[in-house]
Parts: sequence; C-alpha cells; structure tokens
Amino acid sequence: MSRLFARVSLARRHQILTLLVAAAAIAFPLVHDNDADVDSAANAAAYATLALGLNIVVGFAGLLDLGYAAFFAIGAYAYGILTSFQVMPHWGPLWEPFAWLQLVQRVPQPGGDLVRFTVSFWIMLPVSALIAAGFGVLFGAPTLRLRGDYLAIVTLGFGEIVPIVVRNVDSVTNGAAGLNGIQAPRLFGHSFGVAAWPYYYVAIALVALLIFVSVRLRDSRIGRAWMAIREDETAAAAMGVDRTRTKLLAFAIGAAFAGATGTFYVAKLQTATPEMFGFPVSVMILVMVVLGGMGSVWGVVVGAVLLQLLQSWFLEDISGWIHDLGNAINQPWMQQVDLTQSIELIFGQILVFMMLFRRDGLIPATRKQSSLSVEQQHADVRRGGFVGLEGLGEFAHQGHSGLEVSGVTVRYGGLVALNAIDLSVPVGGVVAVIGPNGSGKSTLFNVITGLTPADGGAIRFDGDGLLGLPPHAILRRGVARTFQNIRLFTNLSVLDNVLIGQHARLKTGPIAAVFRPPSTRREEAAARVWASQILGLFGNRLLPRASQTVSHLSYANRRRVEIARALASRPKILLLDEPTAGMNPAETLELAEQIKSLHALGLTILLIEHKLDVVTRLADKVVVLDHGEKIAEGTPDEVRRNEAVLQAYLGRGTLAKGMVDA
Amino acid sequence: MSFSDLLLQQTINGLSLGAMYALLALGFTLVYGILELINFAHFNVFMVGSFIGMWTLQLMGINGQAVIMTGLPLIGVMVVALVVTMLSSGLLGVLIERLSLRPLRDVKGPAAMITTIGVSYVLFNIILLTVGADSKNYPNPLPPIQFAIGDAVLRLREILIWMIAILLMLGLHFFVQRSKMGKAMRATAQDPEAARMMGVEVDRVIIIAFFLGSALAGAGGLIFGLYYNFTSFIIGFTAGLRAFTAAVLGGIGNVPGAMLGGVIIGLIEAMGGQFIATAWTDVIIFSILVLVLVFRPAGLLGRVAPNKS
Repeated sequence: MSRLFARVSLARRHQILTLLVAAAAIAFPLVHDNDADVDSAANAAAYATLALGLNIVVGFAGLLDLGYAAFFAIGAYAYGILTSFQVMPHWGPLWEPFAWLQLVQRVPQPGGDLVRFTVSFWIMLPVSALIAAGFGVLFGAPTLRLRGDYLAIVTLGFGEIVPIVVRNVDSVTNGAAGLNGIQAPRLFGHSFGVAAWPYYYVAIALVALLIFVSVRLRDSRIGRAWMAIREDETAAAAMGVDRTRTKLLAFAIGAAFAGATGTFYVAKLQTATPEMFGFPVSVMILVMVVLGGMGSVWGVVVGAVLLQLLQSWFLEDISGWIHDLGNAINQPWMQQVDLTQSIELIFGQILVFMMLFRRDGLIPATRKQSSLSVEQQHADVRRGGFVGLEGLGEFAHQGHSGLEVSGVTVRYGGLVALNAIDLSVPVGGVVAVIGPNGSGKSTLFNVITGLTPADGGAIRFDGDGLLGLPPHAILRRGVARTFQNIRLFTNLSVLDNVLIGQHARLKTGPIAAVFRPPSTRREEAAARVWASQILGLFGNRLLPRASQTVSHLSYANRRRVEIARALASRPKILLLDEPTAGMNPAETLELAEQIKSLHALGLTILLIEHKLDVVTRLADKVVVLDHGEKIAEGTPDEVRRNEAVLQAYLGRGTLAKGMVDA
Repeated sequence: MSFSDLLLQQTINGLSLGAMYALLALGFTLVYGILELINFAHFNVFMVGSFIGMWTLQLMGINGQAVIMTGLPLIGVMVVALVVTMLSSGLLGVLIERLSLRPLRDVKGPAAMITTIGVSYVLFNIILLTVGADSKNYPNPLPPIQFAIGDAVLRLREILIWMIAILLMLGLHFFVQRSKMGKAMRATAQDPEAARMMGVEVDRVIIIAFFLGSALAGAGGLIFGLYYNFTSFIIGFTAGLRAFTAAVLGGIGNVPGAMLGGVIIGLIEAMGGQFIATAWTDVIIFSILVLVLVFRPAGLLGRVAPNKS
C-alpha cells in the first residue's frame, strides 16, 4: 500500500487529496441531515473566505492588517442597504430604467411613491467585492507607504472607524439597531429562505473559487512580488517591484474577498449590526490565518474550519463532559464550567503559542527542501557557459557615455557623504570605484539606484535623468545592482529570487495571473528558461540548488544568486557592490573571470571592490573616493601610483610615502 | 455656562485625560524606541493596572466612595496604592517581555507584534472571566473638594492627577537623561548593535524599558479609576489607541514628545466631545493619527528609533 502511495507523484497526490476534500464538502449536507450543523459549516466556510482574503494581505504580502473586518462590514452593508427597506428615496422617472433592470421596485405610498432597492444577491456579490476593493485602495493609498508597524495601528484605527461611522450615520444604516429585513438570495425564482444547505453550497463554492484565485496569484509574477516585499522591501524595489502599487493590490484583493463574504454573510443572516464587524472579528480572522499558517492557502482554510468547529462544537462538548464529570464526583463548580465563554482567551493563547513555537502554522506554506546529495555537493565545479544569452547588455553603442554622474552631492545632516561627484561609465566599459571604508562608495550606488535621494547634481543614463525616479523605475531603465550586505529574499527559493529579478520585464497582471491565458503561460515558461540560463552562468554552483531556499546556501553562493538576480532583469549596466567580499582566493578568481565574460557579452559594469587584483584584472578605469570626495581617476596603473590615493589608504604623512618608495 | 468657562472646564478635563494618555504613551514610546515594536499588550497592562490599584485600595479598607480621608493618611494610602500598582504592573510587563517577546527578538516580520496582540487578548479575557463584565465601582478616598472658577469646576482629584503625572514624568525624564541606565537606553535606541559592543547590556535595557513603561501604564490605570470612579475590563482598548496616537503625534520614541502628544490628545478629546460630538471623538483622533503618519511621520518633536536598514 505504501509503495503504491509512493509511486504517485506529489502533484498527483495533491490533486487526489483536493478531489477527496471537495467530494466530502459536497456530500456533507446530504449525509449529515442536521440543519444546525450545516449552518455552522456554512459559517465556517464564510470565515474561511475571510481568512483566505487576509492571508493575501498578511501571509503573501506581509502587511499586518488589524482592521480587516472593516471590509467585511463594507461588503455587508453594501448589500444590506441595497436590499432592505432602510433607504427609500422618492420615486421619479429617473428610476424607471433601474426598475426595468429589476434593481429597484416602486412602492406605492399615500404621500408619494417610494423606491425600494432590490438588487440581486448574485449581482451584489461581485459589486460588493469591487466596492470593498475601492475602499481598500482608499484606505491603503495614504497608509501603505508607511512602515509596516505603523500600518498595523492605522488599520486598527480604520477597523474601529468603520463600525463607528456605521453606528453614527443611522439614516443610512439604522445605527446601532442594525439593518433588518435584508433579502435572502433568490435563484431561478426560489428564495433561499431559512434552510442552511443552499447557503452552505454558495459558501463552499466561494471558498473553492477563492482558493483557486489565491493559488493562481501566489504562483504568478504578482505573488512573487508580494513575497519579495514581505522578505525585503528595499531589495524588492531595487529589483523592479513597485512597492506602493504591489501592496495596494494585495490590500485591494484582500478587501474584495472580505466584501464578497460580507454580502454572503448578511444575506444568510438577513440582518446586520455594527457589532458584527468589530475588532474581535479582525482578531479572530487573524487567529485563523496564524493557526493555519501565514501564506499557506490550504492552511488558512483548515485554520478557519478548526476554529469554527472549536467554537460551535468542541467547546460545548467539552463543557458538557466536564458537567457530567462534576455531577459524577459531586463538584458543583465543575457543573458550572462554560468553556464557550473563554473562546477569546483561547484565541489569545493560540496567537502567542503559535508565534513562539510554530510560526509557520499547522500547514506551513513552504515545505522543507531536502538537502543536496553528496554527489551533487561534490560534483565538479565547472565554469558556466555564456552562450545563448542574447538580451544581456543590449545597449545602443552610440559612443555616448552610458552612465553620467555629475556633481552629485548627498548630505546626512551635517555629514557630507558625497561631495559633487563626477563619474562616467562608457558604454561597454568596466569602471571600478575604490576607497577606504566610509568614503561614500555604497552611498553612490544608493543614489544611482534611487534608494537615497541626492541633494544636488544630476545622473543620466542612456539619455534619461535618473534622479528623482523611484528604484523600480530605475531598474526598468536597465540599471541593476547587488548589495554589499547581501539582500536576497531569504525564505524564497533560488529560482524565485531570480524570477523576481525579471519582475520588471514581465507583464502578467492580477487578472492574467488568475485566468492564465496562453500568453501568460508562454511568458512564465520563457521566464523560467531565462532563469535557468542565468543560473547556468555559474556552472553547477546554483543549478542543482535552484529549488532550495536561499537561507540554506553558502555565503559565496548567496553572492552568486544576487548577481544572477540582477542579471535576470536584463540590465544594460550592472552595479556590483563588493561582489567578491567574503570569498576565498579561488572563488574570487572564478567570479572575476565570470564578470569579465559578462563584460565580453556587452554588459557595462560599475563595480565597488576592495581587492586590488580584481580591480586590476577587470577595470578599464578606476575612480577613488575618500570622505565623499573624488580624489583620483585613471587607469588602474595610474591610480596605483597616485599620491593622494596612497595617502588615503595608508595614512597621511611621510611614513606612507616611505612605504610607497619601498 | 459662558463660552470661556466652557473652554476652561474642558481644558481642565482635557489636561486630566491628557495626563493619563501621556503616562500610557510613555510606555509605547520607551519600547518602540528600543525595539521598534508596537506593544499591543500595553493596552491591557493599563487595564490590569487599574484593577491592581482597585484591589490595593480595597485591601486598605477603602470601599467605593464611602471612606473619605484627609491629610497624612490620605497621602500614605495614595503612595502605597501608587507604589504597589506600579511595581506589580511593571513586573507584569517584565514577565510579558521575558516569556513571550524575548524568544522572538531576532525574528523578522510581524511575529512579535502578533504575539503582543495575543498577550493583550489573554489579559483582557482573564480579567473578563474572573472579574466579570460589569464595571466596578472604584474605591476613592479623595475628599470631594472642588474650586469654582467662574462656572468651571476644578476638583481636588484633578490637581492630584496632574501632580502624580508631572512627578512621574519628571522622574522618567531625569532617569532617561541623567542616569547611567538612561544613557544606556538612549544608546540602545540609537543603535542596539553598537550599544552592545560598547558594553551595554541590551537585555537589561529592554527589561527596564518594559518595567518602566508598564509601571507608568499601571499608574495611568489607577488614575483612570480615581478620575472616573469606575473601572472595567474594556477600558484598555480605547485608551490604548488614543495613547498610541499621542506617542506618534509627539514623535515615537521621544519621551517629551509622548507627554506633549498625550496632553494634545486629551484636549482634543475634551474639546471634541464638547463642541463636536462624543460619538465622533474616535474618528477625529484616528484621522489625526493618519494625517500625522502621512504628512509628518516623525511627529511634532521628532522620531527617535533605531535605524535598522
């Protein structure tokens, strides 16, 4: 039996499991004829949709949203107001077309006819999603630029404001008393009424849809961008991910899930009050996500179902058992115990214990990768081939200089980190920047790539001004970089890191990601081919490790992945910040050769390097910085003999001079 | 009541609220300044502190507003209640840090923040389940002395609250600015790594920050009870959010900023309640929070927090 099981591939096992779960979900009300249980199962499914939505925000994009129930409320009230007797304007001819579309009814009244909204549930389901997404953008736009921890408190604030507003504008929402008489959904002329099973099937259909959407998004360019932001925002921006837009997208899609669920939920309850959408609901959904596993699609569904079971079944059962036990041994206090009261206490404990002992949740999003076999580890190190990499270093060789830095100044308070620096990198050239620690080399890279604003000067690349552009726009123009202190997306695989490098060169949007038209499939396949070609540059250093998590790699391999990630963006110019730092002499030599052949492919390179033999081997021109000033520029040989350079490196005074002469 | 008297009365009320928020905001600011962590547990440390104060007063034989004291016995009772409340709340804060946050110190992402939400929820529900959902009549031995200024009324309890708050805040300010531990704290807030290398025991600094912050929150809780004559398990949430807004408004991590922010938020709440509508108070305060974060994220007096890249 187990051998039979092992023969089935992992993907096929997942398919079978999915089918079994789906079949069980469909069969449940048929075999279990208990309306109350089917009803709580429908609630569980509704909470699962909420958890799926929050998972996109918290799990995928890493944005802690503590006011998620606000969007649930918005979707709920959108449907509630448009199908109850709450808002009834006067009838006028303007309403005729809406009446014809069956969106409104004319209600005859002695004092003048009124309008009653009767928008269909099936129309409102997507419309509520859109409305909630709109509010998501509205709330998110000003706040998503904030640091992540501030976002938590601001969303908490929004989560409070929305119910307060609902309570206060009682002309529209009937205030604290809530909306009543909300219409049940109708299908083919039949109202859903009060039986639980029709709601149950709508709810599990919604869950199935949202699981599908979540998985499709996760495995797309969009999902990779979310995870890149979650892992390291700055690096994501430098790799071409538009931070604000990408976060806003996560926020809006999460809100849309909640909006649709809100509509479903009040259609089921046929009532809505502000209390249904307060902070405890936001926390409960967060508990579901945390319990199941942040970022894990199936995990959060399991988390939601478990919590719902706990609430509506387990706690009552356990309380009952304790009562029985209390009766048996005659302990009056045990006969009083009511565990359902302590559900929120349990929620709090789940949050703490999951964070302390199992941060990845019950069903972690990423499975542990098996480590490489001994053979794979000891396979011959061969230098990669560089054939077939058309598209690298595509640059119009028109003689003008590729990168032109003129008069760039950066100040940090009183400290001048860069003082009127001029620097030019010709097309196809290799320029090295050297200088003692703290001389402003990395600041220079940060200014060029848009991570640090300049206080003056200009930077032009291939004819465009770069200053003032956001980092992702600069990468888009063909400027890619690596970081001195490696900034990879450590919990993602090598392949994903390199795919994120291509973010700016791919087009898949959220809709294409979900529907996966042929063009998207082709693009994704081509992206993977390109990624493996790039990884192949480093021989079999990286290729066998493509599916491994970056955090498992050696230091030198992480440096290589970072270069691969930058190369994947098809740059015209590559900025390498101490690429050989921490490598042994053999590895250094290997990498130097590889950089040289990248240059031979037509790539323009600007490099910060401390190892002078690497500089001499690679660079046509060397620029020396010291205390933010450019103190020398020339060929490696010229710079080597420059007195100012020697002083900067070896100290000021005759001692240094003596050493030079010697 | 004339407009100027109304204004004066609401200024008195606002300053009292502000003193409470300032004490609470200091706890957010101390912890955020060092760990860059929004400590949601702080909301309910305040609430628990309020109950500890209540129990301490009750243990000393004071029930409801029936026992009125004056002179030295009153001062004695107040000092004991304040000291016991602050020590117990401070220890609660230390316990929270030690058990639930230290293991997560080096974990990236929202894990630590989620933990503090969990802890906050646990505290909230422990009090709810043991004490009950009804609000409790707070023991208050202060004599009902009040002074009339025009139509406005200044009560003895308000003067007392201001005095306690000002003394505590001055104490904290001098501790942070003058003492050796205070210097270590400021160093850690600037750069934990460098501070560690210079021999600062960062773990101890963090413990002290939690202790002080939680002790001040406890004092705030006691003041809440004495001011309103009641306490309840739900008081932490709203007060906590307002105090956090105060901390951000003043400049998070910035000790004088938290005091200034607290007073401003207190005044806004009092004036907003008088001249706009109580129902909209929270909306006004959160709008301020969002506006400050968007347009002046460093707050009024500047943000002090570690520069992690």
